[in-house]
Amino acid sequence: MKLGILPKLLQNLFSKPMTVRFPHESIPIPDGYRGEHAYDIDKCISCGLCAKICPNRAIEMVEASNEYKEKYPKTYPKIDLGKCCFCGLCEDICSKDAIKLTKNFFLSTFDDSNMVRYPISKLEEQRNS
Amino acid sequence: MIDQMEPVPKDTEYDLYFGPAHPGSGNFGVKLKIDGEIVTSARADPGYLHRGFEKLMEYRTPLQNAVLSDRLCVLEPLNWNLIHAEAVDNLMGIDVPERAKYIRVIMAELSRIQSHIIWYGVFSKGTGFDTGFKMAFGYRDYILDLFEMITGGRVYPAGYICPGGVRRDFPNGARDKILKVLDKMDEMIKLEELENPALDARAKGVGILKVEDAIRLGATGPVLRGSGMKTDVRKDEPYEIYDKLDFEVPVRKESDVYARYMIGIEEMKQSIKIVKQALEELPEGEVIASNLERPKVKVEIPEGEVYVRNEVARGEAAVYMVSDGGSKPYRCKIRGPDFLHMIPVLEYLLKGAQIADVPAIYWSLNICPADMDR
Repeated sequence: MKLGILPKLLQNLFSKPMTVRFPHESIPIPDGYRGEHAYDIDKCISCGLCAKICPNRAIEMVEASNEYKEKYPKTYPKIDLGKCCFCGLCEDICSKDAIKLTKNFFLSTFDDSNMVRYPISKLEEQRNS
Repeated sequence: MIDQMEPVPKDTEYDLYFGPAHPGSGNFGVKLKIDGEIVTSARADPGYLHRGFEKLMEYRTPLQNAVLSDRLCVLEPLNWNLIHAEAVDNLMGIDVPERAKYIRVIMAELSRIQSHIIWYGVFSKGTGFDTGFKMAFGYRDYILDLFEMITGGRVYPAGYICPGGVRRDFPNGARDKILKVLDKMDEMIKLEELENPALDARAKGVGILKVEDAIRLGATGPVLRGSGMKTDVRKDEPYEIYDKLDFEVPVRKESDVYARYMIGIEEMKQSIKIVKQALEELPEGEVIASNLERPKVKVEIPEGEVYVRNEVARGEAAVYMVSDGGSKPYRCKIRGPDFLHMIPVLEYLLKGAQIADVPAIYWSLNICPADMDR
């Protein structure tokens, strides 16, 4: 009987596993990874190209809330990460580099309201008030 | 007394539903009629994974469709990107830069290797060799790491091969990393080639598809080559830079499950050869045509129609695109190679087979329900 697989079996008994123990260690994420968006409202010129190019219509141009309307009178992108396919077309088309994809991929959540990114985030509102 | 007894009803016949929610079938089902241990008739039951790509593509611009074309097949998105991009290039008359053509071929061949590794994995799982499945998905991750570095996503490259060229150039150090990964793939092929008596017993002489039947039922790609016909779109009608590359088309005469399994392994070797050659000759220069460098919201596609065919890992795939002069295609018909493998060929092969041979035959056809249901 041919048992060519046996040497490999013995080798595997004494070799390290292929996987890493995820929460404690992880493989490095390379530059250019397409993860969560980073949006800079001060660079944005409200051209709306990101909303037009989005294949899944995940980006919608919305007005800022009442207290910010004076400072930001135009419309700004609201990103629904639940619809987003992370293709990065919004990043490529933006001529002012206002939208960029970051390396953050920890996006799973139990609360679906966390999936929507508003142009002025709640954290920023709290900080400014 | 004896002639008054009723004859015993024949209770050896029953129906068996193989899939679509079966771990060994993918998102696809086959209804089998069984008598004892023998399959008397098989009926494929497609539609479980239908997503309506052909209609979706009529509502999107070419660049958005490039992103959508990833989803045609989870296992080899870059090959499908390439076909879609070629169809749009032909319609728009774009001159693709030389470097982009090389990068396209390198990525498509890496995708083919990755797809063949999965084929080996699921075939092993189907024939009860679980170690092969684990091994295959472990080694596949090396290629996924590569895709992550080059395209920015592990499985879905998001239209990396787009109309006009490719969306990004190779990052620094990509060449060395690709060569390292190819060494790992050599290691994987050596593992696949190890003698495995259990596999020989399951695969040799099972599911014989004669070459006349294969042609009659419309088989292409590895299935047809496993039946003994030398055919490959890369050789017959070369696209991109395949006419400049030196590679062979593996053919086997045995026409059984084992022949198709071996074709997969030999094709991986050829793909490694192609990637090495393309990397050596990779020229410098632009990676995307100058008029498409920045993505545009509105791209006019000139009126016309085009039929592009390519060799993907599963066989011959094609895109037929019609444009009426607008910014969106009027019609985009997709020909997935698995439509014919999974319906006529599979039904023909399963008829008369043993129940135990069903998974072996099923997975030897390199099946992916995604591009059949579309």
